[in-house]
Amino acid sequence: MAELTTEPTIYVTYIATTAEKCWAALTQSAFSKQYFFGQIIEGDWRKGGRIRYRMPDGSEHIEGEILSCEPPRLLRFTWRVVAMPGLKHLPDSIVSYRIEDAGEGVIRLTMTEEHPTPIDERLLGGGRSGWPAILSGLKSLLETGAVPKIAPPTPPQEMLDYMKEHGV
Amino acid sequence: MSNDFVYVTYIYSTPQKVWDAITKPEFAKRYWFHYNVSDWKKGSRWEHQHGDDSGKIMIDGTVLEADPPRKLMITWTRPDKSKEPSRVTFDIADDDSGLVRLTVTHDQLEHDPAMAASVSGGWPKVLSNLKSLLETGKTENIWLTKNKEG
Repeated sequence: MAELTTEPTIYVTYIATTAEKCWAALTQSAFSKQYFFGQIIEGDWRKGGRIRYRMPDGSEHIEGEILSCEPPRLLRFTWRVVAMPGLKHLPDSIVSYRIEDAGEGVIRLTMTEEHPTPIDERLLGGGRSGWPAILSGLKSLLETGAVPKIAPPTPPQEMLDYMKEHGV
Repeated sequence: MSNDFVYVTYIYSTPQKVWDAITKPEFAKRYWFHYNVSDWKKGSRWEHQHGDDSGKIMIDGTVLEADPPRKLMITWTRPDKSKEPSRVTFDIADDDSGLVRLTVTHDQLEHDPAMAASVSGGWPKVLSNLKSLLETGKTENIWLTKNKEG
């Protein structure tokens, strides 16, 4: 029997930028296309508004509801994978981006992926391999201006096994 | 729930530069505040010395595995030996596109929850600063305003 878990995934990075620039990079598609594997973010930036990440071809990947929207400090939203029919049965996760001042010209960005409803622990591998790639690219983009070329990591084998079992 | 700490960062650099940044004091001083001293041979002692050059040892241990510039595994011991040592592994991978994936795994922390809490706060600072230094030539001003663990 698969192990169920509510363990969050947390990734912290320090970036030499301002809270406002980091907020813009998280919420504007002109930036997300450059570091989020080409994906396009869209949002109705208020509590209760919808948020989406679209694939580069425009198809929906992630869809959710904004739970907190406090620019430039906190964005928290539900996260539902809609791109793959086999994953539509999964409970919503909650993703948040918190931006805090951490020094002169430096912010601390904390990404938290929560699982209020327990999920198969094999699914955690997707976020644990993906977030470091996405947020390393975000840091490079904000600090150097160069467009990062980090490819999406191959999903861990245990996640592929899960997806195979569920006909994804 | 395990208290192993794993941190992955992607850096535009080379494996050799990342290896040097971890193992060479002149380099580490620029982004780590403290720095590491050893001959980096398997079985050798290593010391994490205070950045003020007083020679004060903050952490020490033994080199368990050294495969430059790909892998370094060390024990991580409080100098007063008041707790069982933990273990740190640096894995340095690259894909020929000028991008290095550095994975730092700090495990065997079960006997020292205070150390687990300290290093989980410290590694993101150290490794963010390392990435900034290698990509931009500059470090971030996080040390002067925040605590200096790690």
